[in-house]
Amino acid sequence: MCLLVVCCTQCRKAGNAVLSNDDAYDARLSGGAATTFDISSLSFSSPIPGLSGWDLHVHELGDKIFEQSFVAAPAPIYGGLGPVFNNVSCVSCHHNDGAGIPTAGLVNSSLLIRLSLPGSDLHGGPLPIPGYGGQLQDVALFGTQPEAKVNITYTEEPFTFPDGETLSLRKPTYTLTNPYTPLPAGYLTSPRMAPPVFGLGLLELIPEATIRSFADPYDADKDGISGKANYVYNPYTQKTELGRFGLKANTASLLVQVTAAMQQDMGITSYVFPQKSVYGQAQWSSVKDTKGTDLPDSLVNAVKFYVQSLAVPARRDVTDPVVKHGEALFAQIQCASCHKPTMYTDVNVTLPALSHQRIHPYTDMLVHDMGAGLADNRPDYLADGTEWRTSPLWGIGLFQKTNGTPYYLHDGRARNLKEAIIWHGGEAANSITQFTKLPRADREAIITFLQSL
Amino acid sequence: MKKILILLMGTALSLQACHKASNTTSTEDYTVLEGEVLNDFVQKIALPQYNDLQLKATAFNAAIVQLNANPTDANLTAARQGWRDVRQGWEQCEGFLFGPVEDDNYDPQMDTWPVDNVQLDSLMSSSNPLGIIDIQNLSTLSLRGFHPIEYILWGVHGNSTAASITAREKQYMVSLSADIVNNTTNLNNSWLASGSNFQNDVLNAGKGSTRFKSRQEAFLAIAGAMIDICGEVGDSKMGEPFAAYDSTITESRFSHNSITDFRNNIIGAQNVYLGTYGGASGKSISALVAAKNISLDNQIKAQFTAAINSFNNISTTFEQGIYSQRTQVQNAITALSTLSQTLDAQLLPFIKQYIKD
Repeated sequence: MCLLVVCCTQCRKAGNAVLSNDDAYDARLSGGAATTFDISSLSFSSPIPGLSGWDLHVHELGDKIFEQSFVAAPAPIYGGLGPVFNNVSCVSCHHNDGAGIPTAGLVNSSLLIRLSLPGSDLHGGPLPIPGYGGQLQDVALFGTQPEAKVNITYTEEPFTFPDGETLSLRKPTYTLTNPYTPLPAGYLTSPRMAPPVFGLGLLELIPEATIRSFADPYDADKDGISGKANYVYNPYTQKTELGRFGLKANTASLLVQVTAAMQQDMGITSYVFPQKSVYGQAQWSSVKDTKGTDLPDSLVNAVKFYVQSLAVPARRDVTDPVVKHGEALFAQIQCASCHKPTMYTDVNVTLPALSHQRIHPYTDMLVHDMGAGLADNRPDYLADGTEWRTSPLWGIGLFQKTNGTPYYLHDGRARNLKEAIIWHGGEAANSITQFTKLPRADREAIITFLQSL
Repeated sequence: MKKILILLMGTALSLQACHKASNTTSTEDYTVLEGEVLNDFVQKIALPQYNDLQLKATAFNAAIVQLNANPTDANLTAARQGWRDVRQGWEQCEGFLFGPVEDDNYDPQMDTWPVDNVQLDSLMSSSNPLGIIDIQNLSTLSLRGFHPIEYILWGVHGNSTAASITAREKQYMVSLSADIVNNTTNLNNSWLASGSNFQNDVLNAGKGSTRFKSRQEAFLAIAGAMIDICGEVGDSKMGEPFAAYDSTITESRFSHNSITDFRNNIIGAQNVYLGTYGGASGKSISALVAAKNISLDNQIKAQFTAAINSFNNISTTFEQGIYSQRTQVQNAITALSTLSQTLDAQLLPFIKQYIKD
């Protein structure tokens, strides 16, 4: 299989290849040369092929830290947890490098709540709440009070297709209880479930020009679908840059994504974020070890390299006629207008498997209005309260494998792909109407196609 | 965690291409054998081992209750033995770490490492109640499972006595061991037909199983778990303390049970390959391999034996051995690496080539 990958990429003509000429390519190669054929529960956990011995070593080091539970400081190893946090390791939320479980505050929880006040900070980002910051840490070390607890309740709402098929959608309500200090009036919340972390090296390498070419912020072509790039502040480079990561594309680089998660979700400091998440808050007084950062720079970089070098799982059943039919329908009803199937990555001379690859992420990396049903009503840089980044769909058919029970959408409210589709609104409303009007077999074909990703 | 052997992929392909299939078995018989192997994996490996794990956890909890009621050094010794016994069960079950144990996070719930001394000390010096519910409500898993109990039963320098363990520590261990009983019971139930019935997903692989769309997928999951544990023992559990010359980062450093832990991990994987456990044996992956490629089967069996025997050459604790017996430790790591390379580069392609349903 690996040889095949290499051949395919070497034979392909560089330059302005014709994207529509799909027959010339192996449809299974979602990540180009950075594709793995593992379809086990660890299908999101393979390194990209062709890493050097040294790079593989760094990848494994990063893997180790990604899985490691951190403990309270001072500790001989892996100290620095908290004092308030969301979970104790990366993998606790990103189960098998995939998505997680939409609960909050439990040892296996993958959902957190972003917080802010109306308005924006100096850099155009969300305005932090004094005493809380921009994210709620709902767990704490023994003897420290969490910032607050998150209570999630669901109400089931029936949905009926025109042909009579029914579906139950569960609508979540999030309330914060037991705040350690009063929350101000009018605070904003946004629930976020941990997304999968594979393929991120490829997404980081999609040329900005490609992403910008997808944007149509004023809907000039009048197709009802706009889509805009989020431009966000990068605290490491101290510049405003194109946002790529995070469920609202509020983070510009993998380095910042990884280190912000360490600091905000676990309380682990690094050279990018050298202060504890509670710096300036009352819990700061309980921090015992304030010298240096919790994680050495080399290990921080190794974790960043780990997620950068996780391969994309290959598609299955690509020649199945139902899958092919579903794929055609997916494009026909304009799902593919935002969930863009095909693009090329830029050049990366040190990592050939990522470099100039033809990839199928099924995202345009833009933020779109997803309607009132999914809205968090909390702006995040240019993404307003109804806008979310188009989630990549690669690997979505393997969520059951990697997660046991699969959950979908930004807060895991959808229990299956059909529910996830129906929740789409806003710019997707027209596509969803078309979806509901399709014959049932055609709807199932689209689901079968998604399961092949 | 995934064992990575990219550099060997080319070799794997060429070996695969060169090796001659000795089709001594008809396709029909082979398909029947595949079903029997899956059946025996469930009936003779997974179910009995999870059942034994639950029994050992229950016995361990009883020993801790006894120590709490009557804190003599004899009861401390018995409790330590109970810990080693349940540890043996758990480490062997890690030879097939897929399914509910993975989906429902049983590993972190019982085997989180390292011990969080700071939080443990503040919990012990607090007046926080220590009932099982209170333990389960603790915010971090590093305060639950095998290793906090190990820390208390042995002490940092292995010099705990029945008298030196405080009343709160004993109460804490009673609840921690009851929590392990809970977890092992739930894990066992998750495979039982009367419970979540995960066995059904394995037995019906390729025949309606939602988890395994083909038998090949099920066999790849089983083999993948074997490879992962071999890689984890060699590269992480042994390799990291060895490379760092650091005995404080070994797995069971208070009890000095690390080598036994490692050996049991590999025995667990060997049980799966040979289809044997607790004196019973059944149709095995070994038989599937032998039917098509007897030399590969012999090679895997020999490498399992070599890896398990290599631990015997380390005549001191692992914590000492990484300083004083580096050759022997290195040899064990090498034996594990050889084994996992063979499984990765030859067993996985074998499954992809011959298990087609």
